[in-house]
Amino acid sequence: MHDFENVTNNIGDITFMLKLFNYDKPNVYQLSDEQTAIKVNNLNLSFGEKPVLRDINLRIPKHQITAFIGQSGCGKSTLLGCFNRMNELATDCKVSGEVFINKRNINSKKENVSRLRASVGMVFQKPNPFPMNIYDNVSYGLRLQGLKERRKMDDAVERALVDAALWEEVKDRLFEPASILSGGQQQRLVIARALALEPEILLLDEPTSALDPLTTLIIEELMVELKKRCTVIIVTHNMQQASRVSDYTAFMHQGEVVEFSDSDTLFTMPQKKKTEDYITGRYG
Amino acid sequence: MFKWLPASKNHSFIVNLCAFCTTLLLLVLLSLLAFVFTKGSGYFLSPPVYQVSYKDDNGKQHIVFAQFPSGYSENFSGRVTASTENTIYQAQLPLHSRQISNIEKRSDVANISLIDGRKLFAVPQHIRSSKDLKVSLSELDKYLNIIDDIREEIDEIKQNELTEIDKILASVDKSSPSINPIQQSALLKYQSLQKTIAELENKRDTFSLNMADVKGESIAIVLADIHSISFPSNMTWIGKIKHAFNLLWLFLSENPKQSNTAGGIFPALFGTVVMVLLMTLIVAPFGVLSAVYIHEYAPNNLLVTAMRVCISNMAAVPAIVYGVFGLGFLVYVVGGNIDALFFSDALPAPTMGAPSIFWASVTMALLTLPVVIVATDEGLNRVPQGLRKGSYALGATKSETIWYTVLPIASPSIITGIILAIARAAGEVAPLMLLGAVRFAPQLPVDSEFPFVHLERQFMHLGVFIYDGAFSTQINPQGASMMFATCSLLLLVVLFLNIVAVTLRARLRERYQ
Ligand SMILES: Nc1ncnc2c1ncn2[C@@H]1O[C@H](COP(=O)(O)OP(=O)(O)OP(=O)(O)O)[C@@H](O)[C@H]1O
Ligand SMILES: [Mg+2]
Repeated sequence: MHDFENVTNNIGDITFMLKLFNYDKPNVYQLSDEQTAIKVNNLNLSFGEKPVLRDINLRIPKHQITAFIGQSGCGKSTLLGCFNRMNELATDCKVSGEVFINKRNINSKKENVSRLRASVGMVFQKPNPFPMNIYDNVSYGLRLQGLKERRKMDDAVERALVDAALWEEVKDRLFEPASILSGGQQQRLVIARALALEPEILLLDEPTSALDPLTTLIIEELMVELKKRCTVIIVTHNMQQASRVSDYTAFMHQGEVVEFSDSDTLFTMPQKKKTEDYITGRYG
Repeated sequence: MFKWLPASKNHSFIVNLCAFCTTLLLLVLLSLLAFVFTKGSGYFLSPPVYQVSYKDDNGKQHIVFAQFPSGYSENFSGRVTASTENTIYQAQLPLHSRQISNIEKRSDVANISLIDGRKLFAVPQHIRSSKDLKVSLSELDKYLNIIDDIREEIDEIKQNELTEIDKILASVDKSSPSINPIQQSALLKYQSLQKTIAELENKRDTFSLNMADVKGESIAIVLADIHSISFPSNMTWIGKIKHAFNLLWLFLSENPKQSNTAGGIFPALFGTVVMVLLMTLIVAPFGVLSAVYIHEYAPNNLLVTAMRVCISNMAAVPAIVYGVFGLGFLVYVVGGNIDALFFSDALPAPTMGAPSIFWASVTMALLTLPVVIVATDEGLNRVPQGLRKGSYALGATKSETIWYTVLPIASPSIITGIILAIARAAGEVAPLMLLGAVRFAPQLPVDSEFPFVHLERQFMHLGVFIYDGAFSTQINPQGASMMFATCSLLLLVVLFLNIVAVTLRARLRERYQ
């Protein structure tokens, strides 16, 4: 188990390190293609008649944590859903523009959506473990990929649970229903479920909004650990969280990206009035 | 909201009215169950036998052996089971206690059931064997055993060796005039076996039971015709319970006798089970698949909404309409065309183009389809959107999401729907009467004869059995207790299915909570 003081110390270390490396961070508007995980060109999206995203252009840096912040309803979740085409589950959704992942425009008709979603993991605001046992939850994606060998599956499940910092707590009850886990454990379980597929990109939509501060810290620590192996994008309403864990932050307002830069700059020297109002709490 | 209700007093009146109605309903339900079960249990009980002297309405004096349905009481009025002076076989006799001049319990009177299903009350006296020897009654069991052994021997010969020879004889080419040696020897063997059987049958029939009827006159009945003998007035409690269970077993395992007023109901129970199983095999996949299509794939337009409404309303179509449709369209049109295409050799004798257990199952499946579709639809509706999204986000396609996530979660509702459908089908009678359920079917729909499952056969069904019994008891009151016993069985079957449904659903709910 994690000891509270230990965790806070770790987080302290991380923020310290972030400060140290701050000046090494390249400008988001000058990223090379190698440094880019996702490139978004002129993205517009509307649900029915209602425009939700307007003319989005940005590059998400590879192997970094990028945070989306902004007022409720400004389109953060929708933008996140553009990276694995989850929005099209709503029948009245219309998208235009391009989203490039690995130089492929994922909005093209030829894109294999299942394979895309397997390589771009997503974790939702409310933990949604399947009503199965823990093992089956984690191996769900692998089974869909056609993995049958039991030993490989066991290894992958263990690795994913270790990566999601859940292994120690569940290793003796892998075959019990996931519903017996606590909220925080369930959230880590769904993260493990996504990690089992070894995604290139991990999308986290307010992953800690339902959790207590200690569990939140565990998951934040996890994110920092995860960015070594994948690009992490997180939506959050928690300004401290965004400044603590994210390398880059985008501020959104009414479907537009108002300001996007490395987190330190955005939180200490915001360039736009709206951003400043929002992060100082004067807005809305 | 209830402004038109003036005061709180009226509220309490309404509450009382509701409570009254509920109580009334419960009472009706309970009395139904109590009535059916007591009447039905009469088939298995053996109350004591009395010798009754009574005067009939014309003032004529009679003397009978009688069994009162639940023991004799001072002011009895109703039907008794009796052997009279006119006929030794048991019949129903209306009797009122004021007609009775003398009544006496007779512990020496036996209730004798014959193989053919008839029963009689008489006083056994002695056994007579071949050499006209009188043997005392205490040897009865021994002789019954001897006869059972002979009977088994005959059955064995008939079943094994005769069918074997039958096959050999049947396989021989009829067109060739000369008889080949194999056939010759088979024929000889056949004749010798027939002789053995005749001898055995003779031996079996040499034993008889002498007994005195109610007038004291002696009669003899071949021992081989007797199924069982019991002394109802002379039974201990344990004996009565044993006897009841014995009768219950016979009821469940034997064929009906005496045109469905005696014996057992095994073929009807078996036919019901097979029909229901077949129906489930048809209705479950069709119902679930169409519900999945309607709920998950069909566009959300006016046509689909109309279809939904139609499906829910289909449940309200009277069953007999399905029966007419099944007979007129499925049997004659579809079945007739199948015959013309695949079984044209046998025509004009129909193969599929006649009422049969297959078409009965198909029609029942149509009838219960709405139940399964509506239940599945509701189950699908209850699957949280978050879980579908979770599955899609892991790279599942739509069909994979439905198969691995949505259907398991909806499974409690699906199972409930299927079991409701089964319960409905088990109790439905009207359409079956048009579609191959008959009073008496000589063969079971499943047996040891290739291809084992004979879907083109007619069958017997508990509901039809009751229906038939209910009509024939007006003419022949003896069948009444058998019919009520069948009713009880049907109630128990439905109750059992419902219990299975509830526990299964609870299990699955727990699993997929
Ligand atoms: N399936 C949908 N159909 C119609 N409108 C939708 C749908 N999903 C989202 N919207 C609308 O799109 C807008 C953006 O929604 P989105 O969920 O992206 O906001 P958000 O920034 O994530 O807000 P929050 O912080 O509250 O989660 C909202 O106005 C919402 O009403
Ligand atoms: Mg959101």
